[in-house]
Amino acid sequence: MKVYSIAGLMIALLLWHTTEIVAQVEVKKNFQKRSFAVTGFSGDATVAGQLTEVLKNDVRLSGYLALTPAADAEFVEQGSVRGSRGDITVECLVTQRATNKSVLSKSYPGNTQDLRRLAHVIADDIVQAITGQRGIAQTKIAFVWRRSPTVKELAVMDYDGHNVRLITDDKKISAHPRWSPDGRKIIYTSYLQTFVDVLEANLYTNQRRRLAGFPGLNSGADFSPDGQTIALTLSKDGNPELYTMNANGGDLRRLTQTRGVESSPTWSPDGQSIAYVSDERGSPQIYLLSRDGGEPTRLTVSPAYNTEPDWSHPPADSGVSPMLAMTSRVGGKMQIGLYDSATREVRPVVADSADNEDPSWAPNGRFLVFAKTQNWRSQLYLLDVLAGEQVELPAVEGGASEPAWGPWPGAR
Amino acid sequence: MRSKTFSYAIILALISTLSLTGCNAFKKKQPASGTGAEGTVPPLAGGSEIPSASRPIVTGELPHGQFVPVYFDFDSAKIRPSEMSKLEAVAAATKGNNKKLVIEGYCDERGTAEYNRALGERRAQAAREELVRLGVDAGRISTISYGKERPADPGHDEASWAKNRRDEFVLLAE
Repeated sequence: MKVYSIAGLMIALLLWHTTEIVAQVEVKKNFQKRSFAVTGFSGDATVAGQLTEVLKNDVRLSGYLALTPAADAEFVEQGSVRGSRGDITVECLVTQRATNKSVLSKSYPGNTQDLRRLAHVIADDIVQAITGQRGIAQTKIAFVWRRSPTVKELAVMDYDGHNVRLITDDKKISAHPRWSPDGRKIIYTSYLQTFVDVLEANLYTNQRRRLAGFPGLNSGADFSPDGQTIALTLSKDGNPELYTMNANGGDLRRLTQTRGVESSPTWSPDGQSIAYVSDERGSPQIYLLSRDGGEPTRLTVSPAYNTEPDWSHPPADSGVSPMLAMTSRVGGKMQIGLYDSATREVRPVVADSADNEDPSWAPNGRFLVFAKTQNWRSQLYLLDVLAGEQVELPAVEGGASEPAWGPWPGAR
Repeated sequence: MRSKTFSYAIILALISTLSLTGCNAFKKKQPASGTGAEGTVPPLAGGSEIPSASRPIVTGELPHGQFVPVYFDFDSAKIRPSEMSKLEAVAAATKGNNKKLVIEGYCDERGTAEYNRALGERRAQAAREELVRLGVDAGRISTISYGKERPADPGHDEASWAKNRRDEFVLLAE
């Protein structure tokens, strides 16, 4: 119960500031975690063991469920596995103890080569059945892998940090990955051809193409929510400024014209506005601009350094409102903060002795992934914004940074 | 029927098309933004509008060491007056030939990666503006920003960081 009162206090603080961007987070339905017991699966011990381990972790990471022993649980899972190698069938049953009612009773075809994915599917079904909310267990996170001190590659992992796959294998520098809304493509900053380009990697065809290769800097590319437009930073006209182009790199439009540096665009959920960084008044702050350009609105005034905004796009029916997360520098340390447009304050949500940077929202608008640097080594962490809980993801050898949380699977 | 407006419209259309494709056939000399040279050059309204050079062909790693790097203050892209003599040396070496020059801009490891890529680019462009003011043709100069990648000094203290906030200059072989 202690966890709930501390968390309740945090929620009260969050609710104190009601805004357009950091709007009131509806905590009542979702925050109170439901107690859930995973008793596992009968059948082949190895398969059952692996499924159970992944499922338990998914329950812990779900944000909606708390893993407890069966005796204390509101809901209890049990299941069975038929088969032990190759194709298998998994049955999963979730019962509400008080009523003995089944909330989930389903049969899942799968394969022993693909057990993690199968467990994630089951976990999402459990979250959906109990809470009505979509689970994140099948989502992916793209990130920059520090292969060596001078080489950075793009990689994708499951949201729980497992199943890491390389996207680039250039032995050069790749950075700033961003997903297309359909999850099929990643656009990113590449030094493949020495100069700084925006490339697009198609995850299904393994094809790559260049979207922006103008003189100077081509970077910071971010897809609009409908996937039709890309906002990015170009310095081709003499100064890093904000531009948009279509998804094929054409129809280039310039949005800003300042003496300072613009960078790091992120789109609003309705695709009509872009938040971005500008240091035209000295230090970098977050500004807001219509997608058609015009007069920018300054969003942040303090602390003195705010960069790398990321705008969440939660589902309309989730009860979670859009929020703008960013990296702030306070006392020489980097923090993750959430913007409150009523007070124009940036509220720190990750602030400690490490450097915490580059937040990226999960598609449920409730979780963030970010990079924590300690002793000059970066690894990725998840933050449950509602519960205020950080989870360290399995360490990537060499280091991981600049994460980008992908869309719902099967998204369009 | 040839009206003046019609001719200007064609020229404007050509210029905008060429700048969109990154081509620099119209090598207009633009005044520098006035960085580090108060009063001598009027500042432009919207930042330095020096049209970028078309990209040189580059294979392999660019060598460092031909020129002394220009160093920057923390969070700044301003060329310090004390650094100007280094830029004069680059200008002198560049003006005697037709070789292309690449300016690489860097930041120290503090601060976020993407903003540092833009800040590093601004540092490279600040040097370019000075070189143009010193008489180097803008069309010969390309910029690459490495942000906080590739530090010159791998240390994690003020002395190391000061060596990493820099521009490097590479005169490409013809």
